[in-house]
Amino acid sequence: MADDTTSSTATESTARPPFAPWDRRDLPGSFDVAETARRVGNYKWTEMKLFEALGGWVATVPELDVKMRLGTHCYHHAWHAELWHKRLPELREMKPERLTVPANEAMERFIAAMTEPEAPELTIEKLVGVYRVLIPRFIAAYTYHLNNTSQITDAPTIRSLRHALDDEYADWCDGELMLQSLITTPEHVERATRHQAALEAIMVEAGGITGPGSIG
Amino acid sequence: MRQFLPVEDLARDERFVQTNMAARLADKRSAIPVADKGDAPARKSSKSRGSNNRLTPDRHDASDAARGLMHGIMVGEIQALEGAGRTAHDFEAGDGSGDTIPFELKLDMARQAWDEARHVEISAKLSDWMGTELGEFQENTVLFEAACSNDPVLRLAGVNRALEGLAIDVFTQMKEFGQLADDPFLEFCEDWMLADEVTHVKMGSDWLRKVTENDPDRRTKALEFQQVVDKLFSFGGARSDSDESSFQLARRFRELAGFTDDEVATIAEMDLMALEERKAAVRAMQETASLDSTPA
Repeated sequence: MADDTTSSTATESTARPPFAPWDRRDLPGSFDVAETARRVGNYKWTEMKLFEALGGWVATVPELDVKMRLGTHCYHHAWHAELWHKRLPELREMKPERLTVPANEAMERFIAAMTEPEAPELTIEKLVGVYRVLIPRFIAAYTYHLNNTSQITDAPTIRSLRHALDDEYADWCDGELMLQSLITTPEHVERATRHQAALEAIMVEAGGITGPGSIG
Repeated sequence: MRQFLPVEDLARDERFVQTNMAARLADKRSAIPVADKGDAPARKSSKSRGSNNRLTPDRHDASDAARGLMHGIMVGEIQALEGAGRTAHDFEAGDGSGDTIPFELKLDMARQAWDEARHVEISAKLSDWMGTELGEFQENTVLFEAACSNDPVLRLAGVNRALEGLAIDVFTQMKEFGQLADDPFLEFCEDWMLADEVTHVKMGSDWLRKVTENDPDRRTKALEFQQVVDKLFSFGGARSDSDESSFQLARRFRELAGFTDDEVATIAEMDLMALEERKAAVRAMQETASLDSTPA
Protein backbone atom coordinates (compact mmCIF):
# COMPACT_ATOMS: atom_id res chain seq x y z
CA MET A 1 0.00 0.00 0.00
CA ALA A 2 2.76 2.43 1.02
CA ASP A 3 4.71 1.48 -2.07
CA ASP A 4 1.76 2.33 -4.32
CA THR A 5 1.49 5.85 -2.89
CA THR A 6 5.19 6.47 -3.33
CA SER A 7 5.13 5.26 -6.87
CA SER A 8 2.09 7.41 -7.77
CA THR A 9 3.79 10.57 -6.37
CA ALA A 10 6.95 9.85 -8.24
CA THR A 11 5.21 9.60 -11.60
CA GLU A 12 2.98 12.71 -11.18
CA SER A 13 4.45 15.47 -13.31
CA THR A 14 5.14 18.91 -11.80
CA ALA A 15 5.91 20.41 -15.18
CA ARG A 16 3.66 23.37 -15.88
CA PRO A 17 3.68 26.04 -18.59
CA PRO A 18 5.51 29.25 -17.57
CA PHE A 19 2.28 31.19 -17.90
CA ALA A 20 -0.79 29.80 -16.20
CA PRO A 21 -4.00 29.74 -18.26
CA TRP A 22 -5.34 32.77 -16.44
CA ASP A 23 -2.17 34.82 -16.97
CA ARG A 24 -2.80 36.65 -20.25
CA ARG A 25 0.09 39.15 -19.98
CA ASP A 26 1.94 39.70 -23.23
CA LEU A 27 5.42 40.85 -24.22
CA PRO A 28 4.84 43.54 -26.85
CA GLY A 29 4.60 47.12 -25.68
CA SER A 30 4.41 50.52 -27.35
CA PHE A 31 7.35 52.09 -25.52
CA ASP A 32 11.03 51.23 -25.53
CA VAL A 33 13.29 52.03 -22.59
CA ALA A 34 14.21 55.54 -23.81
CA GLU A 35 10.62 56.53 -24.53
CA THR A 36 9.50 55.19 -21.15
CA ALA A 37 12.22 57.22 -19.43
CA ARG A 38 11.16 60.34 -21.32
CA ARG A 39 7.55 59.90 -20.24
CA VAL A 40 8.52 59.11 -16.66
CA GLY A 41 10.65 62.28 -16.58
CA ASN A 42 7.65 64.33 -17.73
CA TYR A 43 5.50 62.67 -15.07
CA LYS A 44 8.04 63.49 -12.38
CA TRP A 45 8.35 67.13 -13.43
CA THR A 46 4.60 67.62 -13.52
CA GLU A 47 3.96 65.80 -10.23
CA MET A 48 6.64 68.00 -8.65
CA LYS A 49 5.03 71.18 -9.92
CA LEU A 50 1.69 69.94 -8.66
CA PHE A 51 2.84 69.08 -5.13
CA GLU A 52 4.72 72.38 -4.88
CA ALA A 53 1.60 74.28 -5.92
CA LEU A 54 -0.64 72.42 -3.50
CA GLY A 55 1.83 72.99 -0.67
CA GLY A 56 2.14 76.68 -1.48
CA TRP A 57 -1.62 77.18 -1.72
CA VAL A 58 -2.36 75.71 1.70
CA ALA A 59 -1.56 79.04 3.37
CA THR A 60 -3.59 81.04 0.85
CA VAL A 61 -6.89 79.18 1.17
CA PRO A 62 -9.24 80.28 3.96
CA GLU A 63 -11.60 77.29 3.78
CA LEU A 64 -10.39 74.96 6.54
CA ASP A 65 -11.51 71.69 4.94
CA VAL A 66 -9.90 72.65 1.61
CA LYS A 67 -6.71 73.68 3.41
CA MET A 68 -6.42 70.22 5.00
CA ARG A 69 -7.23 68.37 1.75
CA LEU A 70 -4.55 70.30 -0.12
CA GLY A 71 -2.01 69.32 2.53
CA THR A 72 -2.97 65.67 2.17
CA HIS A 73 -2.94 65.71 -1.62
CA CYS A 74 0.40 67.56 -1.60
CA TYR A 75 1.96 64.42 -0.17
CA HIS A 76 0.24 62.09 -2.64
CA HIS A 77 1.85 63.89 -5.55
CA ALA A 78 5.21 64.19 -3.81
CA TRP A 79 5.12 60.42 -3.40
CA HIS A 80 4.38 59.97 -7.10
CA ALA A 81 7.31 62.25 -7.92
CA GLU A 82 9.48 60.08 -5.68
CA LEU A 83 8.32 56.89 -7.44
CA TRP A 84 9.23 58.37 -10.83
CA HIS A 85 12.51 59.75 -9.49
CA LYS A 86 13.49 56.26 -8.38
CA ARG A 87 12.35 54.68 -11.64
CA LEU A 88 14.54 56.88 -13.84
CA PRO A 89 17.92 55.26 -13.00
CA GLU A 90 16.29 51.87 -13.58
CA LEU A 91 15.55 53.12 -17.08
CA ARG A 92 19.24 53.90 -17.64
CA GLU A 93 18.94 57.60 -16.77
CA MET A 94 21.65 58.03 -14.15
CA LYS A 95 21.05 61.75 -13.83
CA PRO A 96 17.29 61.90 -13.16
CA GLU A 97 17.38 65.72 -13.28
CA ARG A 98 18.24 65.57 -16.98
CA LEU A 99 14.85 64.11 -17.82
CA THR A 100 12.92 65.91 -15.08
CA VAL A 101 11.55 68.42 -17.55
CA PRO A 102 8.23 69.58 -18.98
CA ALA A 103 7.08 67.93 -22.19
CA ASN A 104 7.34 71.26 -23.98
CA GLU A 105 7.13 75.02 -23.54
CA ALA A 106 3.32 75.00 -23.56
CA MET A 107 3.28 72.59 -20.63
CA GLU A 108 5.56 74.95 -18.72
CA ARG A 109 3.17 77.79 -19.55
CA PHE A 110 0.25 75.68 -18.40
CA ILE A 111 1.81 75.19 -14.95
CA ALA A 112 2.56 78.92 -14.71
CA ALA A 113 -1.07 79.74 -15.53
CA MET A 114 -2.44 77.08 -13.21
CA THR A 115 -0.38 78.31 -10.26
CA GLU A 116 -1.04 82.00 -10.87
CA PRO A 117 -4.13 82.43 -8.63
CA GLU A 118 -2.98 83.33 -5.12
CA ALA A 119 -5.56 85.60 -3.45
CA PRO A 120 -7.72 83.98 -0.76
CA GLU A 121 -10.92 84.59 -2.71
CA LEU A 122 -9.67 82.50 -5.65
CA THR A 123 -10.13 79.01 -4.21
CA ILE A 124 -12.42 78.02 -7.09
CA GLU A 125 -9.77 78.92 -9.66
CA LYS A 126 -7.09 77.04 -7.73
CA LEU A 127 -9.19 73.90 -7.50
CA VAL A 128 -10.44 74.07 -11.11
CA GLY A 129 -6.89 74.10 -12.45
CA VAL A 130 -5.87 71.07 -10.43
CA TYR A 131 -9.01 68.94 -10.29
CA ARG A 132 -10.79 69.74 -13.54
CA VAL A 133 -7.79 70.14 -15.83
CA LEU A 134 -4.50 68.70 -14.59
CA ILE A 135 -5.57 65.61 -12.66
CA PRO A 136 -7.90 64.37 -15.43
CA ARG A 137 -4.89 64.70 -17.75
CA PHE A 138 -2.80 62.64 -15.34
CA ILE A 139 -5.50 59.98 -15.30
CA ALA A 140 -5.53 59.97 -19.10
CA ALA A 141 -1.76 59.82 -19.54
CA TYR A 142 -1.25 57.18 -16.83
CA THR A 143 -4.09 55.04 -18.15
CA TYR A 144 -2.78 55.22 -21.71
CA HIS A 145 0.69 54.23 -20.50
CA LEU A 146 -0.67 51.42 -18.35
CA ASN A 147 -2.69 49.96 -21.22
CA ASN A 148 0.05 50.20 -23.82
CA THR A 149 3.30 49.31 -22.15
CA SER A 150 4.74 45.81 -22.12
CA GLN A 151 3.02 43.92 -19.34
CA ILE A 152 6.11 41.86 -18.67
CA THR A 153 9.19 43.96 -19.39
CA ASP A 154 7.78 47.15 -17.84
CA ALA A 155 6.13 45.66 -14.76
CA PRO A 156 7.81 48.10 -12.33
CA THR A 157 6.36 51.11 -14.18
CA ILE A 158 2.96 49.41 -14.24
CA ARG A 159 3.06 48.92 -10.48
CA SER A 160 3.85 52.62 -9.91
CA LEU A 161 1.21 53.69 -12.44
CA ARG A 162 -1.42 51.67 -10.59
CA HIS A 163 -0.51 53.18 -7.22
CA ALA A 164 -0.48 56.67 -8.70
CA LEU A 165 -3.78 56.14 -10.51
CA ASP A 166 -5.44 55.00 -7.28
CA ASP A 167 -4.50 58.36 -5.72
CA GLU A 168 -5.45 60.34 -8.81
CA TYR A 169 -8.96 58.91 -8.88
CA ALA A 170 -9.48 59.51 -5.15
CA ASP A 171 -8.06 63.05 -5.30
CA TRP A 172 -10.09 63.85 -8.41
CA CYS A 173 -13.22 62.83 -6.53
CA ASP A 174 -12.24 64.90 -3.46
CA GLY A 175 -11.52 67.90 -5.65
CA GLU A 176 -14.77 67.64 -7.55
CA LEU A 177 -16.72 67.43 -4.29
CA MET A 178 -14.94 70.51 -2.94
CA LEU A 179 -15.66 72.39 -6.16
CA GLN A 180 -19.32 71.42 -6.26
CA SER A 181 -19.70 72.66 -2.69
CA LEU A 182 -18.02 75.98 -3.56
CA ILE A 183 -19.73 76.65 -6.88
CA THR A 184 -23.13 77.84 -5.71
CA THR A 185 -24.04 80.80 -7.93
CA PRO A 186 -24.10 81.56 -11.67
CA GLU A 187 -21.16 83.89 -11.10
CA HIS A 188 -19.17 81.02 -9.60
CA VAL A 189 -20.08 78.85 -12.58
CA GLU A 190 -18.86 81.56 -14.92
CA ARG A 191 -15.58 81.91 -13.02
CA ALA A 192 -14.97 78.16 -12.99
CA THR A 193 -15.76 77.60 -16.66
CA ARG A 194 -13.81 80.65 -17.83
CA HIS A 195 -10.71 79.57 -15.94
CA GLN A 196 -11.07 75.96 -17.04
CA ALA A 197 -11.40 77.00 -20.69
CA ALA A 198 -8.29 79.17 -20.50
CA LEU A 199 -6.25 76.37 -18.97
CA GLU A 200 -7.65 73.69 -21.30
CA ALA A 201 -6.57 75.77 -24.28
CA ILE A 202 -2.96 75.77 -23.09
CA MET A 203 -3.13 72.08 -22.24
CA VAL A 204 -4.41 71.25 -25.71
CA GLU A 205 -1.52 73.21 -27.15
CA ALA A 206 0.84 71.16 -24.98
CA GLY A 207 -0.76 67.92 -26.12
CA GLY A 208 -1.03 66.55 -22.59
CA ILE A 209 1.39 65.76 -19.80
CA THR A 210 3.91 64.02 -22.04
CA GLY A 211 3.21 66.22 -25.06
CA PRO A 212 1.54 65.08 -28.29
CA GLY A 213 0.92 61.37 -27.97
CA SER A 214 0.08 61.56 -24.29
CA ILE A 215 -2.95 59.41 -25.00
CA GLY A 216 -1.90 57.94 -28.33
CA MET B 1 2.10 82.47 -6.78
CA ARG B 2 4.79 84.37 -4.90
CA GLN B 3 7.86 82.56 -3.64
CA PHE B 4 7.45 83.78 -0.06
CA LEU B 5 4.18 84.52 1.71
CA PRO B 6 4.24 87.06 4.55
CA VAL B 7 2.50 86.10 7.78
CA GLU B 8 -0.10 88.84 7.41
CA ASP B 9 -1.34 87.16 4.21
CA LEU B 10 -2.23 83.87 5.93
CA ALA B 11 -5.76 82.99 4.82
CA ARG B 12 -8.37 82.36 7.52
CA ASP B 13 -12.13 82.32 7.68
CA GLU B 14 -13.98 84.88 9.79
CA ARG B 15 -14.08 82.70 12.93
CA PHE B 16 -10.35 83.03 13.54
CA VAL B 17 -9.02 85.96 15.56
CA GLN B 18 -5.32 86.55 15.22
CA THR B 19 -3.27 88.27 17.87
CA ASN B 20 0.24 88.41 19.28
CA MET B 21 1.70 86.05 21.84
CA ALA B 22 1.40 88.44 24.78
CA ALA B 23 -2.33 88.90 24.18
CA ARG B 24 -2.82 85.17 23.71
CA LEU B 25 -1.09 84.40 26.99
CA ALA B 26 -3.04 87.10 28.78
CA ASP B 27 -6.21 85.06 28.19
CA LYS B 28 -7.23 84.01 31.71
CA ARG B 29 -8.27 80.60 30.37
CA SER B 30 -4.69 79.84 29.30
CA ALA B 31 -3.00 76.66 30.49
CA ILE B 32 -0.03 78.81 31.34
CA PRO B 33 -0.56 80.66 34.62
CA VAL B 34 -0.73 84.39 34.11
CA ALA B 35 -0.05 87.15 36.53
CA ASP B 36 -1.16 90.71 36.55
CA LYS B 37 -1.73 93.31 39.21
CA GLY B 38 -3.27 91.70 42.23
CA ASP B 39 -2.64 88.13 41.16
CA ALA B 40 -0.13 85.76 42.64
CA PRO B 41 2.64 84.64 40.26
CA ALA B 42 0.42 81.77 39.26
CA ARG B 43 -3.31 81.67 39.82
CA LYS B 44 -4.45 82.32 43.36
CA SER B 45 -5.82 78.83 43.73
CA SER B 46 -2.46 77.37 42.98
CA LYS B 47 -1.39 78.45 46.44
CA SER B 48 -3.23 75.45 47.80
CA ARG B 49 -1.10 73.25 45.58
CA GLY B 50 2.11 74.89 46.64
CA SER B 51 3.96 76.04 43.56
CA ASN B 52 2.93 73.15 41.31
CA ASN B 53 1.59 74.52 38.04
CA ARG B 54 1.58 71.33 35.99
CA LEU B 55 -1.48 70.98 33.80
CA THR B 56 -3.32 68.21 35.63
CA PRO B 57 -7.05 67.43 35.92
CA ASP B 58 -7.10 68.51 39.60
CA ARG B 59 -6.34 72.14 38.73
CA HIS B 60 -9.50 74.17 39.32
CA ASP B 61 -9.17 75.64 35.84
CA ALA B 62 -8.25 72.33 34.19
CA SER B 63 -11.20 72.27 31.80
CA ASP B 64 -10.66 75.75 30.35
CA ALA B 65 -6.89 75.33 30.38
CA ALA B 66 -7.07 72.04 28.49
CA ARG B 67 -9.61 73.43 26.02
CA GLY B 68 -7.49 76.51 25.41
CA LEU B 69 -4.40 74.39 24.98
CA MET B 70 -6.15 72.07 22.53
CA HIS B 71 -7.35 75.05 20.51
CA GLY B 72 -3.80 76.40 20.56
CA ILE B 73 -2.56 73.04 19.34
CA MET B 74 -5.10 73.09 16.52
CA VAL B 75 -4.13 76.55 15.23
CA GLY B 76 -0.48 75.62 15.71
CA GLU B 77 -1.04 72.56 13.54
CA ILE B 78 -2.73 74.71 10.89
CA GLN B 79 0.34 76.95 10.79
CA ALA B 80 2.68 73.96 10.80
CA LEU B 81 0.74 72.60 7.81
CA GLU B 82 1.03 75.95 6.08
CA GLY B 83 4.73 76.22 6.93
CA ALA B 84 5.60 72.74 5.64
CA GLY B 85 3.59 73.39 2.48
CA ARG B 86 5.39 76.67 1.90
CA THR B 87 8.82 75.05 2.34
CA ALA B 88 7.84 72.39 -0.21
CA HIS B 89 6.88 75.25 -2.54
CA ASP B 90 9.28 78.11 -1.89
CA PHE B 91 12.61 76.49 -2.74
CA GLU B 92 13.76 74.84 -5.96
CA ALA B 93 15.20 71.33 -5.81
CA GLY B 94 18.99 71.47 -5.86
CA ASP B 95 22.11 70.65 -3.92
CA GLY B 96 21.05 72.60 -0.83
CA SER B 97 23.15 75.66 -1.49
CA GLY B 98 21.69 79.13 -1.91
CA ASP B 99 17.99 79.16 -2.55
CA THR B 100 17.72 75.41 -3.17
CA ILE B 101 16.92 72.41 -1.03
CA PRO B 102 17.53 68.73 -1.80
CA PHE B 103 14.68 67.02 -3.64
CA GLU B 104 14.32 64.52 -0.77
CA LEU B 105 13.88 67.38 1.71
CA LYS B 106 11.03 68.72 -0.41
CA LEU B 107 9.47 65.26 -0.28
CA ASP B 108 9.84 65.22 3.51
CA MET B 109 8.15 68.62 3.73
CA ALA B 110 5.24 67.32 1.67
CA ARG B 111 5.02 64.33 3.97
CA GLN B 112 5.03 66.67 6.95
CA ALA B 113 2.21 68.68 5.34
CA TRP B 114 0.10 65.52 5.23
CA ASP B 115 0.95 64.73 8.85
CA GLU B 116 0.05 68.25 9.97
CA ALA B 117 -3.21 68.08 8.02
CA ARG B 118 -4.09 64.95 10.01
CA HIS B 119 -3.13 66.74 13.21
CA VAL B 120 -5.53 69.55 12.37
CA GLU B 121 -8.23 66.93 11.79
CA ILE B 122 -7.42 65.21 15.09
CA SER B 123 -7.26 68.41 17.15
CA ALA B 124 -10.44 69.78 15.54
CA LYS B 125 -12.27 66.60 16.53
CA LEU B 126 -10.72 66.64 20.02
CA SER B 127 -11.67 70.31 20.44
CA ASP B 128 -15.23 69.46 19.49
CA TRP B 129 -15.17 66.53 21.92
CA MET B 130 -14.02 68.92 24.66
CA GLY B 131 -16.82 71.37 23.88
CA THR B 132 -14.81 74.10 22.17
CA GLU B 133 -16.02 76.22 19.27
CA LEU B 134 -13.59 76.97 16.47
CA GLY B 135 -12.20 80.46 17.08
CA GLU B 136 -13.22 80.49 20.75
CA PHE B 137 -9.59 81.25 21.62
CA GLN B 138 -7.30 83.66 19.81
CA GLU B 139 -4.55 82.55 17.47
CA ASN B 140 -1.02 83.87 17.59
CA THR B 141 0.92 83.42 14.40
CA VAL B 142 4.48 83.23 15.69
CA LEU B 143 4.83 79.66 14.48
CA PHE B 144 4.24 80.61 10.86
CA GLU B 145 6.59 83.58 11.26
CA ALA B 146 9.35 81.12 12.16
CA ALA B 147 8.46 79.29 8.96
CA CYS B 148 8.86 82.43 6.84
CA SER B 149 12.63 82.69 6.85
CA ASN B 150 14.30 83.06 3.47
CA ASP B 151 16.88 80.47 4.53
CA PRO B 152 15.40 76.95 4.55
CA VAL B 153 17.92 75.88 7.17
CA LEU B 154 16.52 78.48 9.58
CA ARG B 155 13.06 77.05 8.94
CA LEU B 156 14.33 73.59 9.87
CA ALA B 157 15.91 74.95 13.04
CA GLY B 158 13.03 77.20 14.07
CA VAL B 159 10.09 75.04 13.11
CA ASN B 160 11.20 71.41 13.01
CA ARG B 161 13.61 71.53 15.91
CA ALA B 162 12.38 74.33 18.21
CA LEU B 163 8.61 74.37 17.67
CA GLU B 164 8.03 70.73 16.84
CA GLY B 165 10.29 70.05 19.82
CA LEU B 166 7.92 72.10 21.95
CA ALA B 167 5.05 70.06 20.47
CA ILE B 168 6.76 66.93 21.80
CA ASP B 169 6.74 68.46 25.29
CA VAL B 170 3.13 69.63 25.03
CA PHE B 171 1.80 66.36 23.59
CA THR B 172 3.59 64.38 26.26
CA GLN B 173 1.88 66.56 28.88
CA MET B 174 -1.52 66.25 27.18
CA LYS B 175 -1.13 62.49 26.90
CA GLU B 176 -0.44 62.39 30.64
CA PHE B 177 -3.42 64.68 31.20
CA GLY B 178 -5.59 62.18 29.29
CA GLN B 179 -4.28 59.32 31.44
CA LEU B 180 -4.93 61.20 34.68
CA ALA B 181 -8.36 62.38 33.55
CA ASP B 182 -9.24 58.81 32.55
CA ASP B 183 -9.85 59.95 28.97
CA PRO B 184 -8.48 57.18 26.74
CA PHE B 185 -9.69 59.03 23.62
CA LEU B 186 -7.44 62.01 24.37
CA GLU B 187 -4.51 59.82 25.43
CA PHE B 188 -4.80 57.68 22.27
CA CYS B 189 -4.81 60.69 19.92
CA GLU B 190 -1.97 62.50 21.69
CA ASP B 191 0.16 59.38 21.51
CA TRP B 192 -0.30 59.18 17.73
CA MET B 193 0.48 62.85 17.24
CA LEU B 194 3.51 62.50 19.49
CA ALA B 195 4.88 59.74 17.24
CA ASP B 196 4.59 62.06 14.22
CA GLU B 197 6.23 64.98 16.02
CA VAL B 198 9.25 62.89 16.99
CA THR B 199 9.57 62.03 13.30
CA HIS B 200 9.38 65.70 12.30
CA VAL B 201 11.98 66.78 14.83
CA LYS B 202 14.27 63.98 13.73
CA MET B 203 13.71 65.05 10.13
CA GLY B 204 14.79 68.58 11.11
CA SER B 205 17.83 67.35 13.04
CA ASP B 206 18.99 65.08 10.21
CA TRP B 207 18.49 67.62 7.42
CA LEU B 208 20.06 70.45 9.40
CA ARG B 209 23.21 68.39 9.85
CA LYS B 210 23.25 67.19 6.26
CA VAL B 211 22.60 70.52 4.53
CA THR B 212 25.14 72.41 6.67
CA GLU B 213 27.73 69.63 6.60
CA ASN B 214 30.26 71.83 4.82
CA ASP B 215 29.04 75.17 6.07
CA PRO B 216 29.73 75.53 9.81
CA ASP B 217 28.77 79.24 9.82
CA ARG B 218 25.36 78.48 8.41
CA ARG B 219 24.88 75.72 10.98
CA THR B 220 25.87 78.03 13.84
CA LYS B 221 23.43 80.69 12.67
CA ALA B 222 20.66 78.11 12.41
CA LEU B 223 21.31 76.78 15.92
CA GLU B 224 21.35 80.33 17.27
CA PHE B 225 18.01 80.98 15.61
CA GLN B 226 16.70 77.77 17.15
CA GLN B 227 17.70 79.05 20.60
CA VAL B 228 15.89 82.32 19.99
CA VAL B 229 12.72 80.46 19.03
CA ASP B 230 13.16 78.01 21.90
CA LYS B 231 13.41 80.86 24.38
CA LEU B 232 10.47 82.70 22.84
CA PHE B 233 8.39 79.55 23.12
CA SER B 234 9.40 78.68 26.64
CA PHE B 235 6.65 81.22 27.44
CA GLY B 236 8.61 82.71 30.32
CA GLY B 237 9.42 79.32 31.78
CA ALA B 238 6.03 77.72 31.18
CA ARG B 239 8.05 74.75 30.02
CA SER B 240 10.82 73.54 32.32
CA ASP B 241 11.83 70.71 34.60
CA SER B 242 10.46 72.69 37.56
CA ASP B 243 6.99 71.85 38.91
CA GLU B 244 6.30 75.57 38.72
CA SER B 245 6.03 75.18 34.96
CA SER B 246 2.98 73.89 33.12
CA PHE B 247 4.96 71.57 30.86
CA GLN B 248 7.97 69.42 31.40
CA LEU B 249 10.78 68.90 28.93
CA ALA B 250 10.11 65.47 27.35
CA ARG B 251 13.72 64.34 27.48
CA ARG B 252 13.31 60.76 26.27
CA PHE B 253 11.32 61.70 23.17
CA ARG B 254 13.71 64.55 22.40
CA GLU B 255 16.60 62.09 22.44
CA LEU B 256 14.68 59.85 20.03
CA ALA B 257 14.22 62.91 17.82
CA GLY B 258 17.95 63.49 17.48
CA PHE B 259 18.69 66.02 20.24
CA THR B 260 22.06 65.42 21.89
CA ASP B 261 22.35 65.36 25.70
CA ASP B 262 24.10 68.73 25.53
CA GLU B 263 21.32 70.25 23.47
CA VAL B 264 18.65 69.02 25.87
CA ALA B 265 20.68 70.35 28.82
CA THR B 266 20.99 73.76 27.13
CA ILE B 267 17.24 73.97 26.56
CA ALA B 268 16.55 72.88 30.16
CA GLU B 269 18.91 75.55 31.45
CA MET B 270 17.35 78.21 29.22
CA ASP B 271 13.86 77.22 30.37
CA LEU B 272 14.83 77.57 34.02
CA MET B 273 16.43 80.96 33.35
CA ALA B 274 13.26 82.10 31.61
CA LEU B 275 11.22 80.92 34.59
CA GLU B 276 13.44 82.84 37.03
CA GLU B 277 13.29 85.96 34.87
CA ARG B 278 9.54 85.75 34.78
CA LYS B 279 9.27 85.25 38.54
CA ALA B 280 11.50 88.27 39.12
CA ALA B 281 9.33 90.34 36.81
CA VAL B 282 6.19 89.23 38.66
CA ARG B 283 7.79 90.06 42.04
CA ALA B 284 8.67 93.52 40.78
CA MET B 285 5.11 93.97 39.54
CA GLN B 286 3.70 92.90 42.91
CA GLU B 287 5.97 95.29 44.79
CA THR B 288 4.83 98.15 42.59
CA ALA B 289 1.21 97.14 43.12
CA SER B 290 1.64 96.95 46.87
CA LEU B 291 3.28 100.43 46.92
CA ASP B 292 0.39 101.78 44.84
CA SER B 293 -2.17 100.39 47.29
CA THR B 294 -0.37 101.64 50.45
CA PRO B 295 -2.41 104.49 52.03
CA ALA B 296 -0.58 107.79 51.78
